[in-house]
Amino acid sequence: MGFYREAGIEVDIVHPSATLSAMNRIRRNESQATTLQVCQAMEIIDSGIPLVNILQTSMNNAMVIVSRRNADPLTQKGARVGIWSVGFGQLAICMSQKDKLNYEWVRFATNVNLFIKGAIDATLAMSYNEYYQLLQAGYELNDNNVYRFCDHGYNVQEDGVYVTREYYSKHKAQAKAFADASRRGWEWAAEHPEETLDIVMKYVQQNHIATNRTMQKLMLQEILRLQLDRESGKREFRLREDMVKLASDLMVEYNMLGNEVSYEQLIQD
Amino acid sequence: MTSPLQYIRQSLSRKLSLWIVFFAAIIFNVALGFMFSQSLSAVRQEAEGRATRELDNTVLRVNSILQRVETVADNTDWLVLGHLETPDSMFTYTRRILMNNPELNGCSIAFEPWYFPGRGLYFSAYSYNDNGNILTTQEGNDYYEYFYMDWYQTAKLLDRPVWTEPFFDFNPGDIYSKDMIASYCKPLKDEYGVYIGTIALDVSLGWLSETISAVKPYPNSYSMMIGEGGTYFVHPDTTKLLYQTIFTETFERPDNAISELGHAMLRGEEGIRQLRMDGKECYVFYKPLGTTGWSVAIVCPEKDIFGGYIRLQRIVVFIVIIGLILMLLVFSRIVSRELKPLRTLADQTGSIAQGNFEQTLSDDGRTDELGRLSQSFVNMQHSLISYIDELKRTTATKASIESELKVASSIQAGMLPRVFPPFPERKDIDLYASMIPAKEVGGDLFDFFIRDEKLFFCVGDVSGKGAPAAILMAVTHSLFRSASAHESDPAVIMRDINETVCLDNSANMLFVTMFLGILDLPTGHLRYCNAGHDSPYILNKNLSTLECKPNLPLGILSEMKYSTQECVLESGSTLFLYTDGLTEAMNASYEQFSDKRVERVLSDCCEKNLSPRQILDTVWEEVHAFVQEAPQSDDLTMLSLRFTPSQFATLLSESITLNCDIGRIPELNSFIQDIGKRLNMDPALISQVQMALEEAVVNVMNYAYPKERNNGFVTVKATSDGHELRLVVIDSGIPFDPTLHEKADTSLSVEDRPIGGLGIFLIRELMDHINYERVDGRNILMLMKNLS
Repeated sequence: MGFYREAGIEVDIVHPSATLSAMNRIRRNESQATTLQVCQAMEIIDSGIPLVNILQTSMNNAMVIVSRRNADPLTQKGARVGIWSVGFGQLAICMSQKDKLNYEWVRFATNVNLFIKGAIDATLAMSYNEYYQLLQAGYELNDNNVYRFCDHGYNVQEDGVYVTREYYSKHKAQAKAFADASRRGWEWAAEHPEETLDIVMKYVQQNHIATNRTMQKLMLQEILRLQLDRESGKREFRLREDMVKLASDLMVEYNMLGNEVSYEQLIQD
Repeated sequence: MTSPLQYIRQSLSRKLSLWIVFFAAIIFNVALGFMFSQSLSAVRQEAEGRATRELDNTVLRVNSILQRVETVADNTDWLVLGHLETPDSMFTYTRRILMNNPELNGCSIAFEPWYFPGRGLYFSAYSYNDNGNILTTQEGNDYYEYFYMDWYQTAKLLDRPVWTEPFFDFNPGDIYSKDMIASYCKPLKDEYGVYIGTIALDVSLGWLSETISAVKPYPNSYSMMIGEGGTYFVHPDTTKLLYQTIFTETFERPDNAISELGHAMLRGEEGIRQLRMDGKECYVFYKPLGTTGWSVAIVCPEKDIFGGYIRLQRIVVFIVIIGLILMLLVFSRIVSRELKPLRTLADQTGSIAQGNFEQTLSDDGRTDELGRLSQSFVNMQHSLISYIDELKRTTATKASIESELKVASSIQAGMLPRVFPPFPERKDIDLYASMIPAKEVGGDLFDFFIRDEKLFFCVGDVSGKGAPAAILMAVTHSLFRSASAHESDPAVIMRDINETVCLDNSANMLFVTMFLGILDLPTGHLRYCNAGHDSPYILNKNLSTLECKPNLPLGILSEMKYSTQECVLESGSTLFLYTDGLTEAMNASYEQFSDKRVERVLSDCCEKNLSPRQILDTVWEEVHAFVQEAPQSDDLTMLSLRFTPSQFATLLSESITLNCDIGRIPELNSFIQDIGKRLNMDPALISQVQMALEEAVVNVMNYAYPKERNNGFVTVKATSDGHELRLVVIDSGIPFDPTLHEKADTSLSVEDRPIGGLGIFLIRELMDHINYERVDGRNILMLMKNLS
């Protein structure tokens, strides 16, 4: 772990199982830091576990809805829509309520097989992941059958690195060093995409992950694109207060949060 | 160095052989092309049949196993539904199913969360055949929420039995299959038709992969299977298994053929496609696999299918090429041998062509086309020899004629005056002329001479070229000389020439244009007659044209009446005469020199006041510059004469008028004596002058007034500048030009001589010059004598 080693911290990266979310590992104190989407973090804070965002990597929302039969997702009232069992998709639930689409949410574990098999009418997908899996499966995706949340007033940041506030208060320096090293890692990846892919593919092969270099290349390109702030065009690595406010308001309005979760509740002291 | 094309062109045998081989090659090509095309079609059909058969058999074999699995599931659900009150029995059922069906890898009977409230959130009985050792467990836990798994949900959501996409299971908290498996999942429904769970029967894809991979109709062919998402589940390249779909490679290297194949397979179609895979041309045979939604394909490289065919094709093409080469060589030899007489003939005729007419042409007795050709050449040789002899004679004759024509041409040139200035002693006339002949002897002529102080001149042009024109020119020239020897009227001279030229000319159709002028040198009085010739130019202060009647050319109409025109040529004037060889001189663009250019050049000459010779030189230079290298097509004749009468400074001027009475002659003699003395003349000279004058005056007195002699008068005017004495005898009698009388033939007796002839003879002998003019109805005879 080059950058972490340079920062003097020992890091063990553990992958959660298909159905057990990373947050469960935090709850069980099996991990100290985890990646969460902003909405997930808010839900957890709302449930009474204070968290601190020590690094925000995503600057844009990557979620899309893809529907079968080349139909506009917004016309699919009451459709069965796949959603990750690990707890992404809060904004989709808000949108379903707001637009009175009454989607029937079907939780899935990891891949897009339910969609491919025709067991569901539409599925949520990440523009850097399932979206490309569907393309690889021979689906034709276009403006008609793809709904991008970021283009419809739901551009809320996603992945960030979180620790419990309790842990943070005790290991501030370590958390900061971990965050800085992670940030350096992403910056290096942006400058060295091919080398980054080499490293990724090494672990893909070691762990028999069902993916390929073409797929990983597309994923990396998309993730790096999502890291650029729309307004500044730069990789800012910061939580945006306006996006936190937007997410909080939506989730409070549609009863996904008991109380508002403020920007201050998420950031470091 | 001879190029290959030239090498071929030089030999008929080579050309003939090549043509034969060329057409043979075309025929072979068409025949072989047809044969290859038919063979190709047959090989393709055979390959299609073979691959399709193998594919069908494989699909059939796989389907039979899959169907066995489906039958097991169908036979199990009633058992489960009948024992829902005893959840633990489910473990027994899963174990029994595996025991009874060793081809199964695992079996799950999974229920909805909290279905058995006493068993908690998770209840899924699972047995796993670990190499014959059957392990059983309740597989649901926090790390493996089975009800979110595809195998569970697909059957539930689709509400029908379904095969999952092949997958690797992962349950970190319990036992699970390490193999790639595919599950046949059947939804379980209670007596009310409510979904309560899913039965899943797992099969390892190892045997499936082995079965499908074993299909290998050709050495380098391979089989593959893709799932409903296009993922490779069977493929010889293990790096693609599970990790790639059939579309993955088209992301970076778009390939419509592969994309279309993928979509066709995903649609569950069956068929054959020809496309390029992994850099090789291949045939892909594909077919769906039962109800699984998967598709199996056999990829056969074209090389494998058509290997034997291509080998055969190469061998046949090789044999044909060798055959054609041999054919070329053999035909070349045969044709060469057959054409040998032709070559011999070509050599022999070549020798004849070089002038060796005695060359013997071989006759090998052949009766075919070559034999006939050879005979024809023999005949031709004989004809040629005769013809050449004839030609030699003709050529000799022609050479002789040409030589004679050259002589004629030089004679013709010699007939024309060649010495310039022609009258060096005279100051009143400067004349220059030239005739530049065209290549052939031509018909231009010019001539001039002075008789009795009159300058006779002419320029003429005979129509046509060659000997007839030259002869007519010579004739015309002679006629001019002879006619003007005793005649001073241009019209009369012209008429005389015309009459002679017209004689026997009707057959020749030749004619002559001519301008004829007679310039009276003492007075500048010019009389002229034109016969169809271009009007001369007068160069004075300005350029002008001498007014001429056109009249018919000579030799056309013998009765033609020509008339004399006259004018007085001013002192210093220059006459310019020419033939149409000047105006019609042509350059390489067939453009004529034209009147316009002639007038421009002559105007320049006017301004520069050039002498006749300079005028001719200037005109010739301009013509030469105009025509440049273009050959001269016609004779070019120019004549230019400048008239500058010398001023006669009169020291003495006396006159005497006598009536026609011989008795007054003594007065005349006194008159002369007196003048002689005044001019201090030698008595002998006075005597000569007196004798000549007396002859002239007596002649007038006797013959000028035949009807009223007594009323006739004769006046004698004497003038002198001290160097010359001029005596002018003037009378109003009948016209009489003594200068026209031939010199008296003194050999004749007195009786035989014509009247007056001796007197005129005497006058000519005694005086230096005589000159006659008839002006205003008067005869004016001038007698001149040099005093020095």
